[in-house]
Amino acid sequence: MQLISYSFVALWMLTFALYYLVPKKFQWYILLAASLVFYVIGLRGFPLGLLLTAVTTYGCGIYLKNSLEREKTESSQCADKESKKACKAAFSKKRKRVQILYIVFNLGLLLLYKYAVVLMPFAETLTGSHIGFLEKVIMPLGISFYTLTAISYVVDAGRENCKIETDFLKVLLFLAYFPAVTQGPFNRFDKMKEQFEREHVFQYDRMLRAVQRFVWGAFKKLVIADRIGIFVDRVYGVETSSVTGSIYACATVLYMLQLYADFSGYIDMAAGVSESLDIMLPENFKRPYFAKSVAEFWRRWHITLGTWFKDYVMFSFVMSGTGRRISKACKNKASGMGRQVVPIIGTMLVWFFTGIWHGRTLAYMLWGVYYGIIMSVSLLLEQKYVGWKAKFHIKNGKAWSFFCKARTWVIVFIADVLIRSESLAQAGAIYSAFVTRLNLRTLLSREITSYGLSKYDFMLLAVVLLIWLAVSVLEERGEDVRTYFAYRPIVIRWAFYYGIVLLVLITGIYGGGYDTAAFMYQSF
Amino acid sequence: MEEKILEILEEHCEEALDYDGDSMMEDGVIDSFTVINVISDLEDEFDIEIDAKYVVAENFKNKEAIIALVQKLLEE
Repeated sequence: MQLISYSFVALWMLTFALYYLVPKKFQWYILLAASLVFYVIGLRGFPLGLLLTAVTTYGCGIYLKNSLEREKTESSQCADKESKKACKAAFSKKRKRVQILYIVFNLGLLLLYKYAVVLMPFAETLTGSHIGFLEKVIMPLGISFYTLTAISYVVDAGRENCKIETDFLKVLLFLAYFPAVTQGPFNRFDKMKEQFEREHVFQYDRMLRAVQRFVWGAFKKLVIADRIGIFVDRVYGVETSSVTGSIYACATVLYMLQLYADFSGYIDMAAGVSESLDIMLPENFKRPYFAKSVAEFWRRWHITLGTWFKDYVMFSFVMSGTGRRISKACKNKASGMGRQVVPIIGTMLVWFFTGIWHGRTLAYMLWGVYYGIIMSVSLLLEQKYVGWKAKFHIKNGKAWSFFCKARTWVIVFIADVLIRSESLAQAGAIYSAFVTRLNLRTLLSREITSYGLSKYDFMLLAVVLLIWLAVSVLEERGEDVRTYFAYRPIVIRWAFYYGIVLLVLITGIYGGGYDTAAFMYQSF
Repeated sequence: MEEKILEILEEHCEEALDYDGDSMMEDGVIDSFTVINVISDLEDEFDIEIDAKYVVAENFKNKEAIIALVQKLLEE
């Protein structure tokens, strides 16, 4: 069940109606029921993995709660400061061990899923029997998302940064919440718990805004991402030597937009569904292609994943005993650059894990390492940049701003060739094509229309990309586009709304039975 | 103490001194590398240990929050 399907809209409408009809204190039960129906029936997901994570998360939370309470009681009975400190340290050590066990278990499940798929064909060859049915058991949908979400809860609980939940069903709802279960965004428990427990009253304006956001997401997915997908799939799917460098460059630029439209489109739809139920999801995108550096790009792209890695990998490593020891040993060495050693190790760790989280291939590992190196080099050269800018009299004007944005696009472009290619060999051949047979003329020849998109498709793409750009510019200036249109004259306002809906209906890419292509991030 | 904290902030992130919002990390005023360097200097200056549990957006939302955090750790 995709978010754009009759069955999902039916589930949404039914949930919506029941949610506002039942007594307010039962509203969260409706969310839980809808989430389980969506997961088990809609996605045909086998819930064993989800339940295992929910049970261990709940259990670990309860252990932490009891341990923290006992620590308070026992430390308050200590006679002096030293024994109080020792008492606290003893409890803290035990809690850390349990948390590590919990994290190892759940990350183990995640790795089992990720790599079992790779190992399955070998196992079938070895055993000579068909074990494909096991895929459903060991391939729980959304595991990459709900595992990290669960870990954030347990770590925050141990750090006393969130309240510990004593109701198992609320923990299950937090992990399985249907708009976010397959592709995020990564929610934080304290923010969601407060919203699940609050009483929600129907508001027409909110529902209208929610539907607008959902339709805007569908527009990005169906009209932009899926149309671009036809071209990109064809270009990357044919024999490499038959495609010129410029066609590959065009396909890669479009792929950058496809990935953004697809993922942010999903997030818009998920946020719209959630907003209609008065549950606000965290923002996951802030116009990443307006970023002036790679670091800024990643603060604007998949924001909740970046924040997760920063909070639970980067800071955990830097503030750990190991991080502090390395930091102490390196400080004041290498002309002051020694203090950057630990942040650089942290950065490389974050990007290595980000790479393997995204995919199980070597290409994703290299993709992660590539970004890690770029971030680390930027950090090391940060002070030098300032000197170079002064030396060459470069001012922070529009030209410099454009240069910085273009530099970011090029870095992302190079990385995206790596993850879009079918193999590392193909990626290598494409990089080589950029240099050895660019042949820019093919962009203006008939060849460009031989990869699934007609001249009219390209013209339509140009128009819809301009609409998207205009909306993005407004948002970048701090305008809330939905509010902006709400205050336009009624004719302009509804012309825009109907225009977008008609564009989705008439020019969206649908398969048989109005099915849509699967969302790209669903496979991560 | 306040003066010293502001000096450390000025050294690593001048914009943080003029910032008057309440989400300095989310607004991109102070990035994670700067946070790490500020923490390192605060630990050295005040002989405190800032555990990872304190490194949350709430404690780095603006300069006042950082001052409050150091004050709290000094009192512990």
